[in-house]
Parts: sequence; C-alpha cells; structure tokens
Amino acid sequence: MSAVIRAENLSKWYGNVLGLSEVTLEIENGVTGLLGPNGAGKSTFMKLVTGQMKPNIGSVTVGGRRAWNDPALFAKIGFCPEPDAFYEDVTGWEFLTGLLRLQGFCRAEAAERAARALDIVDLAKDKDRLIRGYSRGMRQRVKFAQAIAHDPEIIVLDEPLSGLDPLSKRKLIKLIKDFRSEGRTVLVSSHVLPEIEALTSRIVLIHQGKILAQGDIPYVRELIEAHPHVISIRSSDPRRLAAGFIGDAAVRKLTFDPDGKTLVIETHKRDAFFGRLTGAVLEAGVLVDEITSPDDNLQAVFDYLVGK
Amino acid sequence: MAATVRAKGYAHWDGRPVDRRFPWWPITRMGIQLAFRKKRFKLAFAMSFAPAFVFLAGLYISERLEDFQAFFRGSDRLLNITPDYFKIYLTNDSLHFLIVLVLAFAGAGLVADDLKHNSLQLYFARPLRKKDYLLGKMSVVAFFVLIVTALPGLVLLLFKLVFAGSFKFFLDYPWLPLSILGYAALLTVFFAFYILLLSSLSKNSRYVTILVFMTFFFSSILHGILYGIFRLPALALVSIPANLQQTGASLFGQKLPHAFPAVWSFLVLAAACAVSGLVINRKIRSVEVVK
Repeated sequence: MSAVIRAENLSKWYGNVLGLSEVTLEIENGVTGLLGPNGAGKSTFMKLVTGQMKPNIGSVTVGGRRAWNDPALFAKIGFCPEPDAFYEDVTGWEFLTGLLRLQGFCRAEAAERAARALDIVDLAKDKDRLIRGYSRGMRQRVKFAQAIAHDPEIIVLDEPLSGLDPLSKRKLIKLIKDFRSEGRTVLVSSHVLPEIEALTSRIVLIHQGKILAQGDIPYVRELIEAHPHVISIRSSDPRRLAAGFIGDAAVRKLTFDPDGKTLVIETHKRDAFFGRLTGAVLEAGVLVDEITSPDDNLQAVFDYLVGK
Repeated sequence: MAATVRAKGYAHWDGRPVDRRFPWWPITRMGIQLAFRKKRFKLAFAMSFAPAFVFLAGLYISERLEDFQAFFRGSDRLLNITPDYFKIYLTNDSLHFLIVLVLAFAGAGLVADDLKHNSLQLYFARPLRKKDYLLGKMSVVAFFVLIVTALPGLVLLLFKLVFAGSFKFFLDYPWLPLSILGYAALLTVFFAFYILLLSSLSKNSRYVTILVFMTFFFSSILHGILYGIFRLPALALVSIPANLQQTGASLFGQKLPHAFPAVWSFLVLAAACAVSGLVINRKIRSVEVVK
C-alpha cells in the first residue's frame, strides 16, 4: 500500500528551539497514532502535514503533493488543532457554517453539512448557543466537527480526546475507527497511551522531535530486545509452574510476587513463551486464575524507548 | 490517492464547491456580523451618519434660502454649494473621528481576536491563502469606511441634483463623483492597513481599540506641538488627519490646507500603508511561534 503522508528528512525549529529533527516517515491509509509526551513534536509534525508551517529542512507530502502552500490540498484535509481555536461570540452553527463556506461550499450545502457534523458529535441541540457557553467537552466536540464536516480524505486530529467525558470519548473513538473502514487516513496524536491503544495498533513514537519507533505495538515491542516482556501468571501453585520453565531458553527471569500466588516471568521471546505456556500449565497441573502482561502496553514500550 | 480512497469504499460528495472567485467573502461576512453584535458599535455606526444628515439639511436649505432667510441671514456664502462642500463633508474632523470610532469597535478584534483564539490555524487549514485572509479582513474595514463616506457622499450629490431639479451642478462638476469615490477609496486603503496593523499587534482587542484612538489623535497632537516649536508647515506630515485633509483637498481640486505639495501627503500615507503591510505580513502566521 502506498503512503498517503510521506515525510523525508523533515526538520523544523523555532528560533533555537528544535521542533522536529530529521523525521522520515510514511503513513498509510487507516488510523495512525502519534504518541509522545508534551513537547515531543507531535503538534509540529501535524502542522507541517496540514501545511500550516514550512519545513526548515526536508519535505512532507500528502497524497504526493507538498503540503506547504498548497491551499487546494487543504480541501482534502481535516484538521482538529489541540488548543481551542474559535471565536467565543459565535454559535456552534455559525462557527461550522462559516468554516464550511471557507471550504467553498454553497450556503445550502454548508448548512446541510454543518447540521450533519453537529449531529454526529451530539451538539445538534446546542447549535444555537454561543461557543462562549460551551463546556470543555462541547468545545472539543465542535472542534472535531469542523475537522470532519467537509468529509476530508485525510483527518489530522491533535489530542482530540482530551477534555471529553467517557461517553463522548467512546463515541469519538468509534467514529475514528469508522473512518478507517471508510478508507480515510487518520493521524491522531495523544500523550495519553490508553487513548491511542483504543484507537489503533499502528503507532509512531515521537520524543524530543525524533521518531523513536514506528509500527504495530507488538512490532515496536519486539524492537526492544534489551527490555523483555513481563508476564504475570496468578495460579494455584506458582512454584510448580515455575519449575516447568527453568530450562526454557525463552525465559530470562522468574520471580514471585509477595502474595505467593503470582509468578512473574520475563522473556525476550514473547510468542515462543506463549506457545509453550499452555503445555507447561497442563504439565504442572495447576489452576490458572489470571494471565496478564502488564508490559504489553504502550506505556511500557514508551518508557523503555525513552530510557525511563 | 483519490482512487485508493474510492476503492476503499469511501463515498465522496458528488457536488462541486462553489466557484471561489471571492474566497475571502465568508471572512468579511463574519467580521461584519460580529461587529453588529456589539452595542457600542451599533451606537457609533448610527452616529457616523449624523454629519451626512447635517450636510443633507445644508443642501436642502441652500436650494430654498428664501424660505430660511430668517434663520440664515448672511449665510449665502456658506450655503453656496460647490465641490468644496463635499470636500468639507468628507475631510472634516468630525467625520474622521466617527470613522475612527466605528473602526475602533468593528476592526480592533479583526486580527487580535484570531490571535487570541488561535483561529489562524483553522483559517489556514482550509483552501485559503494569506492574501485571502487579509483581503477578507480588509474588506470588513472597507465596508464600514465606504458606507460612511462614499455612500453618503454620492447620496448627497444625488440629493443636490434632486433639490436643484436640474443636472446643472453635475454638468458643472462632472468629476465630482470620481473625487468622492477616489477619496473614499484612499480612506479605505489607509484605514484598512491602519486597523489591521494595530489589530495584529496585540491579542487584546481592548488595547487595540485604545491604540486606534491614541495613534490617530496623538499624531495630531504631536503635529501641534512640533508646529508650535518649529513653525514649519511640513510638520503636518506627522499628523494622520492633516495628511488625509491634504490629500482630500487635492482630490477635490480645492485649496490645500497646508503649505506643502499634496503629493508629500500621498507619499506619507503610501509609505505608512507599505510599512503596515510588511508588519501585518510578518505578524499573520498560521501558528504560534515559540522563540
């Protein structure tokens, strides 16, 4: 599959502050999560992708066209910036229709699209209220609505889930996943790991303006050979179960939790280990209550990569 | 890319975006709408037509002096309508003050509010160039300046013909409509740059409102002080109202109020617009810049 967004040797700095450093990246159709702490360069990358800023070095192309200074391209892109970005003295309806008119839609089409987008984000009832009176979640939703109202092929969402209540968050996550099935390209950033995990397994880890890793979460995990997977098995007899793994080359370390019921295994070869686990449990004849892999989440991956 | 997306089943909108000859128009429209939501603006806007009504009354009386002799004895010269009458309407201090008042309320937030609310990134994430954005904002200023200068100016001329019941005045001064439009255009261009410059200097539209008044009238005060010390007519070049009056008199073919060539004032205003343009261009960035 060809890349929709392609960055080559992309660098951007603000005076003496480095925003992004030599980023080479390809993003395909579907949902891609851009993950990194605040100040990592996520927003800078998104602003470069949406043509808001000119790269100092390198280039970024969207659909084969340079993103910088190509207004025609922006008709295909929907951008939801992180900070609030609207007049307080207009209603949600005016905000959306105004931006749709800027996209080039006629009055009737703009009205129809605004109504649809506001309905999607559950703001139809509040469309005639001034944005000044919107709650944080409502502001976030109307911002999201303006990003999708013109049915863009590429949607760039900077921290779209922040400030949303759990219900709205779940709905937005579903919506973003639907975009993937529609064949759109969604680039979504967050510094909250579970949010990204809920959205996609394809991630780009960014830190201090550099790309640390890119790929599916398990793939990224495999990159970190120096940091083994940790698997916890709570069972009726953890010591007997541990005995079965003593000679296993895939296992690096065996420890027991203070409660005496949990065996904690570190392994470099996660798949091989899980391949053997069922047999080992049967051989030991123990009852397994719970198998968890606390290490198998983005936080762990990210911590390893940034050297925490 | 589009083919890929279609192949994936994403349904494009089948319509076509409207012809974007004026992509800046939605910005202008919104700017005008927002201005009319301010009570103070509405008051200032209504007041800005007061001079037009006074001058309209003057026109009426000038055609019926015999009916008003008891009130205007000895005012024949004052009510002798010539192009100077229209020049006085358009270049008098009270109209300039009212224009500044209207623009202070309607224009202070044009860029300042966008900077405050980070709206620039939403504008520039759309098929819009910086020049479209600036044109949209300038058109808001143009709308209000033209509506209190060109429109009443031309209406006054029309009423002069109606009250006189003949086209003689127009035939005597056929260039007068062009003078009215020319001066209104000059005011429009100058105030568009002036307001946008000041509006781009702060995120706080209240500060901008104060700045709009201060710079306009301070330049006059400065002129007064400098003239009091040096007695040089050319010092009027530091005053915005003086330059506007000088250029206005030139466009209406009337006696210049200051003893230096009008072209100097044209150049000063053009230079001010050029510098403003450079600053505005630098200040209007799509995203915040960390330094």
